[in-house]
Amino acid sequence: MGVGSVATRLLADFGAEVIKIEDRTRIDTPRKLPLYKSEQARNFGEEVVGADPDKGGLFNNYCRNKLGVTINMRTAAGRELAERLIAASSVVTENFAPGVMERWGLTYERLRQLRPDVIYGRMSGYGHSGPHASYRSYGPVVQAVSGLSFISGLPGREPSGWGLSYMDNQAAFYNSAAILMAIRHRMLSGTGTEVDVSAVETGIGLLGPVLLDVTVNGRVTRSPDYPTGNRLEHPPAAPHGVYPACGEDRWVAIAVFGDAEWERFVDAIGRPSWTLDERFASQQARWENQDALDEAIAAWTAQRDRYEVTKLLQDAGVRAGAVQNAQDLNEADPQLAHRGVFFDMEHPVIGEARFEGVPLRFSALSADNWRSGPLLGEDNEYVFKELLGLGDAEYAELETTGTI
Amino acid sequence: MNARDSGSPAPYTGLRVVELSGDPAGEALGKLLATTGADVIKIEPPEGAPSRYIGPAAAGAAAGDLDASLNFWFYNVSKRSAVLDYRTADGMDRLQELLSQADVAITGWRPSEWTALGTTAAGLQAGLPQLIVANLSPFGLDGPWADMVSSDLVGLALGGPLNSCGYDDHAIPPIRPGGDQGYQLTASFAHLGVLLALLERDLTGRGQVVDVAMHDCLAVSAELANPYWFYPRVLVHRQTCRHAQPTPTQPAVFATADDRYIYFALITSEQKPWQSLVEWMQSERLAADLTEPSYDDPAYRLAHFAHIQQIVEVFFLLQRASDIYREGQRRGLPIGVLNAPEDLPADEHLMARDYFVPVDDDAPGGPHLYPGAPIRFSAFPRPVMTRAPRLGEHTAEVLGAQVPGAGEGER
Repeated sequence: MGVGSVATRLLADFGAEVIKIEDRTRIDTPRKLPLYKSEQARNFGEEVVGADPDKGGLFNNYCRNKLGVTINMRTAAGRELAERLIAASSVVTENFAPGVMERWGLTYERLRQLRPDVIYGRMSGYGHSGPHASYRSYGPVVQAVSGLSFISGLPGREPSGWGLSYMDNQAAFYNSAAILMAIRHRMLSGTGTEVDVSAVETGIGLLGPVLLDVTVNGRVTRSPDYPTGNRLEHPPAAPHGVYPACGEDRWVAIAVFGDAEWERFVDAIGRPSWTLDERFASQQARWENQDALDEAIAAWTAQRDRYEVTKLLQDAGVRAGAVQNAQDLNEADPQLAHRGVFFDMEHPVIGEARFEGVPLRFSALSADNWRSGPLLGEDNEYVFKELLGLGDAEYAELETTGTI
Repeated sequence: MNARDSGSPAPYTGLRVVELSGDPAGEALGKLLATTGADVIKIEPPEGAPSRYIGPAAAGAAAGDLDASLNFWFYNVSKRSAVLDYRTADGMDRLQELLSQADVAITGWRPSEWTALGTTAAGLQAGLPQLIVANLSPFGLDGPWADMVSSDLVGLALGGPLNSCGYDDHAIPPIRPGGDQGYQLTASFAHLGVLLALLERDLTGRGQVVDVAMHDCLAVSAELANPYWFYPRVLVHRQTCRHAQPTPTQPAVFATADDRYIYFALITSEQKPWQSLVEWMQSERLAADLTEPSYDDPAYRLAHFAHIQQIVEVFFLLQRASDIYREGQRRGLPIGVLNAPEDLPADEHLMARDYFVPVDDDAPGGPHLYPGAPIRFSAFPRPVMTRAPRLGEHTAEVLGAQVPGAGEGER
C-alpha cells in the first residue's frame, strides 16, 4: 500500500515518468482511507463505502507527479496490455503479496523477454524466498517481527513500539535506493537486474548496536530492565528524557551528554540548589540516580512552556526540543517554513492540498512538482494512445470491454 | 532470485567515499555505501571517532579499549580507518588532497562548525568539482534553527514522530522508539540524495552539495500524522504499540501463554478474515459464542466489539506466541510475533535466506553474526562484509607512510 507508492514517488519527484497501474474493480487502499478535506475526522480503519476514489488525501500525498492508468489484470486483454506497457518501460516495480505477479505470468524471465535490460523491483514484507515468503504483513507486523517494537518501551510493561507504520517509510526508502542503485548499475554495465527487498530484513538492520550486544556478547534483552524507555544505556547520559510542560499533553525532550553540557544546563536553569546534590555530581552519578533527577527536572519544566524551555536551553547550547505535532510543524515551525519542506498544489477534486516534500536540498538539482495525484484512470488516453500507439478503435474496445 | 547473471560489479564498486561525520547519521550513510561495495575511508582524529567511546563494549575487552565498541562496530563495518587531524592547517591540506581523489564526502557539520573549520560546504565543493558533499546535520545548512543542537531523542521530538509513540496512558510521556531511528531515517534520505547526485554526475561530470537536515527528514516521516492535518485538519493521538489515531481504537498487542506478545489488529468489518479467525478459534475449542449466526452480520459484530475483543484476548493468552504467529499466518491473518533481538538468528525464514552473515571481528568466540544486506540483486553478488576497522588501521595505506601520525594506534 504505502511502501510501493512512496518508493516510486521519489523517482517521480525527480523527473521519472512513473505510471501507476490501478484496477477499477479493486481500488487502491490509500484512495479508500478516509482522509478527506473539510470532512469530519474518521480513524483510518473506518472506510466509507462507495466514497469517491478521487478525493482520498493519502493517495494524493503518495502519488503526486505520477501518471495514473487503469488495467483489469484478471482479463487476458488486460494482461496483454500490461505487457505492452512493460515493454515500453525501463523499470517495473510491485509490492503485491508474493505469487500475484507470477499468477499473471510476470516473472523476471518474462519481463526480460519483453525488455532485455529491465529492472524488476520487488518489494515485500519477507522477501521472495524462504518459508515465510507468503506471510501477510504491513507496517506494524514488520515492526513486530523485526524486533523494532520489542526494543521500544518502558521496562516491565508491554512495548510501546511504534504509533505509525515506520517500516512502510523505511522499506520504501530502501526500495527507492535499490531502484536507483540498479539504474546506476545499468548505466555502467548495460544490464538490468531483479531486486528483492524484504521489509523485515530492512527492519532488523535498523535495530542498532543492541543487536551486536546480542550476537557478539550473548545478551538476553528479554529481561526486566529492558527496554529503557527514553533513557539511554549507552552512553550513560542523564538527564535524557521527555518532560511535562505547561498545557495538556505538552512535552519537551532534554538530552544532556557529559559534564560540560550538564554545567551549561545548570547555568541555564539558574543553578537551583537541587543541582548541587551529590547524586548529580557526575554523569555516572546522574545516570544512577535518574529517578530523582527526572523528578526534579519535571518539576522545573512543568511550570514552563515547551518552546520557552527549548529556547532557554538551546541558547545555552543544550540539546532540547518541544515534542511537536503536525499542526506545530505546519504552522509554527520557522525552520521547516524557511526550508520549504511542505508545499501546496491544486487537485481537481480535492482543491488545494498540502504535501510533504523530499527533505533533500541539492545545489544543482531540484524536485519537479508538476501535478497532484492522478484521478482514477486519468492518463489512460495519453499512456495507451500516445505512449503505446493504440488506435482509437482499439482504445474504445478496451473501454467497452472493461479492460481499462 | 534465481538466474544470477553475476559478472558485473556492484554499483558502488570503485567509488571512493571519505567519511568525516562523527554521528550515527553520517556513519549509517557510510555503512550503506560501504556494504554495497564503495571504498569508505573513515577519517578519525588521533583520539578516535566519538562513536568509539559509546558502549556496549565487546565482552572481555579492557576498559577504554577504543577498538572494542559494539556501537562503533555496528555502524562502521566494511570501512577503512585513517587518522588525520583536519583541525590543523596541515591536516586540512592533506584532507583536501584526499578529497580531490574522492567521489563523495560525508560531513555532519552545522554552519558554525563549518566556519570553525574555515570553510563551507559550498566552498569545499567548489574547489573540487567532481565531489559530492553530503552534509547530514541536525537542522541543515541554513535557517533560523541551523545552529541548534540535537540528538536522536531531541530530533524525534521536534520532528514530530515522537508525538505518535508511547502508551494509551497520556500521563506517561511519549516514548522514543529504540535504535537511533532519527539518525537512521536521516541516513536513508541522505543515501537517496547521494544516489541522485551520483546519477546526475554520471551525466554531467559535476558533483554538488546535498544538504540533509535530520529535522526536515523527520518532519515528513510520521506517516499519517501530516495527512490527517492536511486533510480533515485533526491531530492523531498516541496509543500503545499501534497507530496513533484521531480517536481511540482497541489494543492490538496481546499477551500470550509464554509471557510474550503478538500484534494483531482485530478488524471485524471484513467477512473473510473474520471467518478465518473464528474457524481457528473453533479448532482450538475457544470460539465461545462467536460461532452463533448473529455474528455473521458485521453490524452485530461492531456492536459487540468489546465482547469479541475479550474472547480473542483469552484465545491468545492460552497459546504460545510462535504457534499463534505460524498458525495465524497459515490461515492468512496478518499477525506478527514481537520478536526480541535474540529470537532473530534462529528464525527459520531468516536462516533459509542467509540473512545474517558471519563477520570475523575482534571479539572472542567469533565469527559473530551481523545483520546482512536487506537488498538483493540478481545481477551481482553482495560484497563480503568485513569487520569495523581498528583506529587508524589503514592510515599508512590511505595517506602514505610519510604522514606524521600515520600508523598511530595501529597494531
